[in-house]
Amino acid sequence: MTSSNSESSPPQPKSAFRQISALIARHRWKYGIATACLFLATAFEFFVPLIGSATIDHVLDTQDGQSNPLLDRVIRLLGGPDRVESALWIPAVAMLLFSLAGGIFNYVQKRFAAQASDGICKRLKDELYDHIQQLPNKYLDQSQTGDLLQRCTSDIETMRLFLASHVVEIGRSFILIATVVPVMLALNAKLTIVSTFLIPLIILYGYFYFKRVKAIFKEVDESEGKLTAVVQENITGIRVVRAFGRHDHEIRRFAQPNREFREKRIQLTRHMANFWAPSDMLNLVQIGLALVVGSYMAINGQTTIGTLFGFLALLNIVLWPVRMIGRILTDLGKTIVAINRINEIFTQPVETRNDQVALRPDHPVAGHIEFQNVSFSHSEDRPTVQDITCVVEPGQTLAILGSSGAGKTTLMNLLLRFYDCDSGTLSIDGMDLKQLDRSYLRDQFGVVLQEPFLYSRTIEENIRFGSTQAQSRAVEQAARAACIHETIQNFNDGYKTEIGERGITLSGGQRQRVAIARAILRDPPILLLDDALSAVDNETEKAIIEALDRRRGKSTTIVIAHRLSTLAHADKVIVMEKGRIIQTGTHETLTQEEGLYQRLWNIQTELQSKLTA
Amino acid sequence: MNAPLEEDEIQNNINVDLWKRIFQFALAHKRLLIPLTASAIALSVIESLLPIATKFAVEVIEFGKPVEALWFPAAFYFGLSLALSILVYVFIRCAGSISHHISHDIKRDCFKRLQELEFAFYDSQPTGSLISRLTADCDRLSNILAWGFLDLVWGIFFVIAMAITMLILNVELALLVLTTIVPLVFLSSFFRKRMLIASRQIRKHNARITASYNEGIHGVKTTKTLGRERENLSEFESMSSDMFNASVRRAILGAIYLPLVVAIGSVGSGLALWYGGANALSGDLSLGTMIAFMSFAGQFFFPINQIAMVLAELQGAQAAGERVMGLLATYPKIKDSESVIARIEQHKSSVDSTHALDGYANRIERIEFRNVGFTYNEKEIVLDDFNLSVKRGQTIALVGPSGGGKSTIVSVLSRFYEPTSGALEFNGVDYRQRSLDWLQSQLGIVLQTPHLFNGTISENIRYGRLDATDEEIESVARIVNAHEFISNLENGYETVIGEGGARLSTGERQLISFARALVADPQIFIMDEATSSIDTETEALIQEGMQRIFQGRISFVIAHRLSTIRSADQILFIREGKIAEQGTHTELMDLKGSYFDLYLKQFRRERVSDELEAS
Repeated sequence: MTSSNSESSPPQPKSAFRQISALIARHRWKYGIATACLFLATAFEFFVPLIGSATIDHVLDTQDGQSNPLLDRVIRLLGGPDRVESALWIPAVAMLLFSLAGGIFNYVQKRFAAQASDGICKRLKDELYDHIQQLPNKYLDQSQTGDLLQRCTSDIETMRLFLASHVVEIGRSFILIATVVPVMLALNAKLTIVSTFLIPLIILYGYFYFKRVKAIFKEVDESEGKLTAVVQENITGIRVVRAFGRHDHEIRRFAQPNREFREKRIQLTRHMANFWAPSDMLNLVQIGLALVVGSYMAINGQTTIGTLFGFLALLNIVLWPVRMIGRILTDLGKTIVAINRINEIFTQPVETRNDQVALRPDHPVAGHIEFQNVSFSHSEDRPTVQDITCVVEPGQTLAILGSSGAGKTTLMNLLLRFYDCDSGTLSIDGMDLKQLDRSYLRDQFGVVLQEPFLYSRTIEENIRFGSTQAQSRAVEQAARAACIHETIQNFNDGYKTEIGERGITLSGGQRQRVAIARAILRDPPILLLDDALSAVDNETEKAIIEALDRRRGKSTTIVIAHRLSTLAHADKVIVMEKGRIIQTGTHETLTQEEGLYQRLWNIQTELQSKLTA
Repeated sequence: MNAPLEEDEIQNNINVDLWKRIFQFALAHKRLLIPLTASAIALSVIESLLPIATKFAVEVIEFGKPVEALWFPAAFYFGLSLALSILVYVFIRCAGSISHHISHDIKRDCFKRLQELEFAFYDSQPTGSLISRLTADCDRLSNILAWGFLDLVWGIFFVIAMAITMLILNVELALLVLTTIVPLVFLSSFFRKRMLIASRQIRKHNARITASYNEGIHGVKTTKTLGRERENLSEFESMSSDMFNASVRRAILGAIYLPLVVAIGSVGSGLALWYGGANALSGDLSLGTMIAFMSFAGQFFFPINQIAMVLAELQGAQAAGERVMGLLATYPKIKDSESVIARIEQHKSSVDSTHALDGYANRIERIEFRNVGFTYNEKEIVLDDFNLSVKRGQTIALVGPSGGGKSTIVSVLSRFYEPTSGALEFNGVDYRQRSLDWLQSQLGIVLQTPHLFNGTISENIRYGRLDATDEEIESVARIVNAHEFISNLENGYETVIGEGGARLSTGERQLISFARALVADPQIFIMDEATSSIDTETEALIQEGMQRIFQGRISFVIAHRLSTIRSADQILFIREGKIAEQGTHTELMDLKGSYFDLYLKQFRRERVSDELEAS
């Protein structure tokens, strides 16, 4: 519906590795260019020390003529030994040029790699957002918001780090090794073995070390969590702390986790020191081996000073990035967990998956609503609503009364198809709800939920949501009808006042009124108000009801409320208990009939007479 | 949930004075700071000597010495390597430990100060920002203090040590190669700052994306009813595009910077080859020295990059530093005055059960508000010329519209705020002449939202009096009718209630907070909307014990439950900071004024909700 995603067949669960390669495959040409550029850049970078080597061997140190075919070629490229000897600026400039060329390819490589990796992340985030919006409410109600949010943020971030930094780093290290070995072999085979045999050890050391100390990272995270929890608890409860004069007690309470966090982190530092010192030592030993063995070979005429110089320079380029590999590889486990967690969301089918027919009439509905033996339950054993039969004519107002848990809100959820009923039929204008296109269906409603949700935007944007075309005048009118216009005017920025974190906090009643304005502005054929006036004071309630009354006939209205003043205006009232309709009637008939409605009515009238007497 | 990290603009200047003050925290750990500095300097010297090993080795080959002569460069190299590894170990240990010690100390001091500050401070500070001050800000500062300091020392000494080594080897060549430092410094400071800004942009966009997911998930029902899925998605897409662009921009900055500094390194090496090569040809310079110079030239990048990064970080973290130091420079305004401290000192030896620690009588017979006025900001008057006299044993109910000043009255009484005009007297003595600790230990307060701490039930009740015995805890729990539900829990009084008491219902939490307020047997008992968020059943339980709670104390009750209000000795209807109506329930009902209206409305509401809950 909103994207191609929903039309394709539901995604099958894939293994994390296949998921990653599928993601990378989407940008394969960008990754391809990046890889090619990286090879070229590395080749050019390696050339820089080789120019030095060739110059040393052929121009500066000509004592023993053991010539090396690769360095021979390099010096010939520069114009031959004689020419270089008379103009030493040539190798100097060549070094700069090769370095710049390497730099340019490096730049291109990084650019493409970043575009590919960040592109994948962006797309993944977009798809996740889209998918979540389309998930059935059943899934959203059952899952924990915090958990879902964590998957969308920290798991995605883990993935981003992996794609944008780790993949690139691993690729770079392997390309460095893959490129340096042939170059070294061309210079001197024996020295190559000496110069590289510690590299696998360096990688494995990192891998196993971090695998072993993984637990401590978790412990540090946990003790940080504990500390933050204490701080949070203390600051949100600071009034209690002050009320009981418990500052000293709190300071003592804070000291322990604070100390523990410090100790845990110092412990981690010790592990880090234990790792980096030997790891640096291994790198230095590898270079040292090349230096000593190379020198020994040079003395025996098996190699040259230039070659030795080249080996040392190449090792310096390759070794330092390579030693990070082990650490990155240990993080792979974390990435796989994150990908699987994200995947779990993607494998949840969207709510429209089983919609076969999707009627989308080109005109709004008239508003004839009919429940026929409708039953629904969240769980197998206990029905939430049972055998509901009820008709509302276009333009009529239906009021629903009942204690909490009686099933009133469920009826609304069924009408909006947040849930589908298990048995019976629900129809609007004679069309079965299940045949209607969901977005068309929801477009027919103006809804005020029990706990209205407002977006962190301006008030005007909030009211305008759902009816983007509306004129400012209409927005104001809707706000007046919902008795919120004057309140808004009193805010510093009026309708442009930001709500939420960056702006002001509205009271429960104000939120409800903004939501009512939003629903009215849509001018919908059907208006659903789920306890929408509970936090509004009596006078305002009266005014809003009068305003809604003026709309009478324009929309079919369904109201859930507890105050008789709200209910009395309805054309029809149903009283619900334990998921069933137990009474149906109007204000007049229900006040005469024994039941909840009458009892509530009596409280009202009895008081009036008793107190005014 | 974690508090949002505050992102600050990167400031243009480095506020030396501020960092000096912050550095005091590091100076407290001289035991670690001295080895850290020493190892950073030693490390820089050793690193600058490593290329010399190559020089020695090459010279052995160059001058055709025997193979045995190789022992010297080999020993030199491996000796340096070993020393270097040991130093790496030492500085990681020291820098890490210092950083965590500093972080611990700053947090300890900030936390302590936060406990002392008065309500007015908290009114002006959003909770989230205080939490992030204590967590993210402190960690950032401690990182900079330890690692930034290390990098700075190491970087500066590395450059100096390399320069000296080079100058000793060959002055002319050294000066030539050293010129490459100038563009390095310029480029590094230029790019590092921009890279820092770009990284912040990424974080900022990331935070927006998180907020957007949050809104998307919480508001999914509303979004569906408004049919806004498509618009939401396209808005989200524009945010994720911003994030994409920022990430790519950051990557590109790095992609330009690194090749440039590497190229400068090649210029240095090239110069060494060119000029040094010519000298080598003429025999003025050994090949070994020239090779050493070539590798020196490639290494200047590292220290200069580090220094530039630290300086950029300092600019970036300055605002965090200002916030933390600002908090530590804020002192509580409400505290014992000099004369009170003197009195406490004077009566130190003569404290007994009838006298408080400040020498006055412990027993509160009478509380008097004399023309008390209160305003937060001079413009908006919250309390105006408030007069009231209460005797021991009396209960005062405060009713009226929200924002009328009811809570302010009890806050001023508790001395969370002090009157801005007039005075509040205990037994005829201005309470500013009394010990603050004494006063606040006479209070038992129950707030609207019962804030409990994570821990067991008995720990929470004991919060009211830390030395209360288990028997005393049980007996107050009985008074407020909490004993029954507590005994029914699996672990009774030792049940852990979770964060904020999450494992209990609101009503149960409120019962515990009543017990907590009572366990200290306070002389003044305050209920601030304490029964507004609880169900009828709990309300009935509390009601039962209410008379025993009020007995023999001075009680102030802000309430809208009629049963609580009706039994008060005096009811004050507070509107716009003034007493609009005052009297007993019957007197005020006869008046048929605001109280009468309020009563009628509330009565109806309570009956209706009783009816709905019962069915």
